[in-house]
Amino acid sequence: MPEFKIQHITRYTYDGPVRDSANQIILFPIVDIYQEVLKHDLSITGNPLVDTHIDYYGNEVGSFTLSEPHDQLVISSNVIVNTHHRPLPVDDIFPEHQWDALKDLKYTVPYIDFLRLDYFEGQDDLQGIVEAEKINHETPYQVALRFCEYVYRNFEYIKGVTTVETRIDEIWKLKAGVCQDFAHMLTEMLRMVGIPARYVSGYICPNRNGMRGEGATHAWAEAFIPNFGWLGLDPTNNCIANETHVRLAVGRNFSDCSPVKGVYKGPYGHHLNVSVSVGYKDDEPEPEVNLFVDKVVKPSTSPVTTSEPAKNSYQRYLEMIQQQQQQQQQQ
Amino acid sequence: MQESDFFNGYKAISNVWDEMYASNLAVRSPYERVIDYLALESVEDLNKKEELAQRLFMKQGITFTVYNSGEGIEKIFPFDIIPRIITSAEWDFVEKGIKQRLTALNLFLKDIYHNQFIVKDNIVPIDVIYSCPHFLREMYQVGVPYDIYVHIAGIDLIRDENGDFLVLEDNLRTPSGVSYMLENREITKRLFPDLLPSCGVRGVNEYPTLLYKNLQSLSPRQISNPTVVLLSPGIYNSAYFEHTTLARLMGVELVEGRDLVVNNQKVYMKTTIGLQQVDVIYRRVDDEFLDPLVFKPESILGVAGIMGAYRKGNVAIVNAIGNGVADDKAIYSYVPDMIRYYLNEEPILKNVPTYRLSNPDAREFVFANINKMVVKKTNESGGYGMLMGHAASEQEIERYKQEILKAPRNFIAQPTIALSTAPCYIQGKLQPRRIDLRPYALCGPSGIEIVPGGLTRVALKEGSLVVNSSQGGGSKDTWVLTPPSPKGEVTKI
Repeated sequence: MPEFKIQHITRYTYDGPVRDSANQIILFPIVDIYQEVLKHDLSITGNPLVDTHIDYYGNEVGSFTLSEPHDQLVISSNVIVNTHHRPLPVDDIFPEHQWDALKDLKYTVPYIDFLRLDYFEGQDDLQGIVEAEKINHETPYQVALRFCEYVYRNFEYIKGVTTVETRIDEIWKLKAGVCQDFAHMLTEMLRMVGIPARYVSGYICPNRNGMRGEGATHAWAEAFIPNFGWLGLDPTNNCIANETHVRLAVGRNFSDCSPVKGVYKGPYGHHLNVSVSVGYKDDEPEPEVNLFVDKVVKPSTSPVTTSEPAKNSYQRYLEMIQQQQQQQQQQ
Repeated sequence: MQESDFFNGYKAISNVWDEMYASNLAVRSPYERVIDYLALESVEDLNKKEELAQRLFMKQGITFTVYNSGEGIEKIFPFDIIPRIITSAEWDFVEKGIKQRLTALNLFLKDIYHNQFIVKDNIVPIDVIYSCPHFLREMYQVGVPYDIYVHIAGIDLIRDENGDFLVLEDNLRTPSGVSYMLENREITKRLFPDLLPSCGVRGVNEYPTLLYKNLQSLSPRQISNPTVVLLSPGIYNSAYFEHTTLARLMGVELVEGRDLVVNNQKVYMKTTIGLQQVDVIYRRVDDEFLDPLVFKPESILGVAGIMGAYRKGNVAIVNAIGNGVADDKAIYSYVPDMIRYYLNEEPILKNVPTYRLSNPDAREFVFANINKMVVKKTNESGGYGMLMGHAASEQEIERYKQEILKAPRNFIAQPTIALSTAPCYIQGKLQPRRIDLRPYALCGPSGIEIVPGGLTRVALKEGSLVVNSSQGGGSKDTWVLTPPSPKGEVTKI
């Protein structure tokens, strides 16, 4: 029954004062019989009112605005969570029965969303691999573990080669990425064989011998196993996500679970700095380390760069406005 | 009766319903008075009237924008001076049908974003809903004022060869064109001042008042003068003229995304005297551009955080967010079933038969009969991305088939319907051209109201079946007549 103290700080610094920022946070740990929240302190620059609601996937989502000019935004979330070990699936039902049970889920809510495949270029290649890896007479549980290991063995863990917007096409080509990309890859493979799979965002709380994904928010996948429910699988560490993984949100993919996102007005770029530190009960959290530093992102009002060199940024801005206005369907 | 030249040689197309001529070449009674009147005018007079109409449109800037046409983007909407006439009996039928349909569609949207009974009872298949890009999970369990999702609908009706009205599209998101309904009437008043009252034409000019009344009644704040705004994408949008017209006629502010700001789940308008809270937004910006925080992050037309204010019920948005799921052309095919399911009634207005191409049998049938089909994308409107089977070349059809096979869910096919024709004044002669009808239905807390009239669009190119303004169509004034009085005389108004 481990108890973790998690400190998650998201810091945006702007090159000048910005205003009218609207933000969304999904930083509230899921509460169920395997996870209880003992304490949650949230402090945000300017102490805005945080309005929360439950989204379609059952996640608690907070939103707040900051209209006064500000040159930094710090969201500091301090959680004390208690997790419980969940016994693993017994897996003693005939494989065919289990696969049949999964087939019945295909057209039911919520599984339909966790089975839908979006077309991507490498789909046929991946389908081949998935078929080869899926050995007959194995149970969904065994197949899920095998796929998890496949992603762990065949993809390289490299920070900085992908971003939050990297699509599965690119991950497939790169054969590398971070936890988020690993999780996307695994969910795609599981969905291909008809195992409902969802994306999970959260924290990994290592048992002091070090695991990938520490120091930042972590991501992994969950597979739906008949007679068991959602089983957490961490392809980045090739393990079952159990009492060392603290869940914040579930969804189809990263964008359903994005821990922090926001929009602001102002001509300045921003720098994002995220740190997560985890301590055990009675320990002080380990010193804050910056393990995830985002590159400078242009503010939302700046034009999208195009390949046409002749146009200056003002012209491109006008063009973009025009394109967006024209795109609005007037039926 | 003395007949001008223009009147001779009107060649109604066989097997097509003509609004003016019955099959025995007799003029249908509602048109008699108009024809008698026109017959007394010389071709020169009529030409003058036509010219006057064009000048008036140009001078008043009643324009729209055609995309991808290469030339100057702003055009006047071609106007035909001969009105399209709908009898009071026809109108009663259409009105009843639209009210029934809209009631069911509102119930469907409420259901699909809450309990999903219709899915659980297998009336509408779940995968059709969940594969629709406009089914917004963000709207799940979000309450909207009075459970009204569709406040303004522009249901497109056509008439088949028997004169039966069929629904072609529901247009439940941002239907446009109502300003042309109003302007066409203003122009007709100037062209034929005495004809309107003598024929007993019902007025349409209360539309902005009705719309404003409905918008006001949606205000979440119980105050006497809630702030209503019209949110436009801006001057480059094809319907910008309409946005300015409606804002002016209703006396509300015309705003763009940058004029609004959200603070603590409330929407404010920036004014010269500070922020003013906004209660109701009639938006003409698409869902996915409305809130960069929740939908497309790169959108610069929306207002960041507006979805939060909407979810909290601090602002009413018209039409509701997420209506696109009921507008999807694959889901359109289930509307008659929705009417039976929710209302326990038989649909008054029929759908055009629709084949969903995700069904392999239907697909095979459509491919075999593609020359008699119109294939459409399920999530496009305005006549974009269509294949007219009878007019397309072999290569075009082949290319389109490949596209269908990549994502069959995104296509439907309908048999080519012989749209009805109405007489148009073209090059000094009356000539039959294909038309449709778009009445504008307003749904408010006190019920559904439809101003007697609408926009009659006309395919001005000879032989064309496409009436969309974006595809070279024009329009006509649409007259709905008062019921004949018992003596057979027309009531004067």
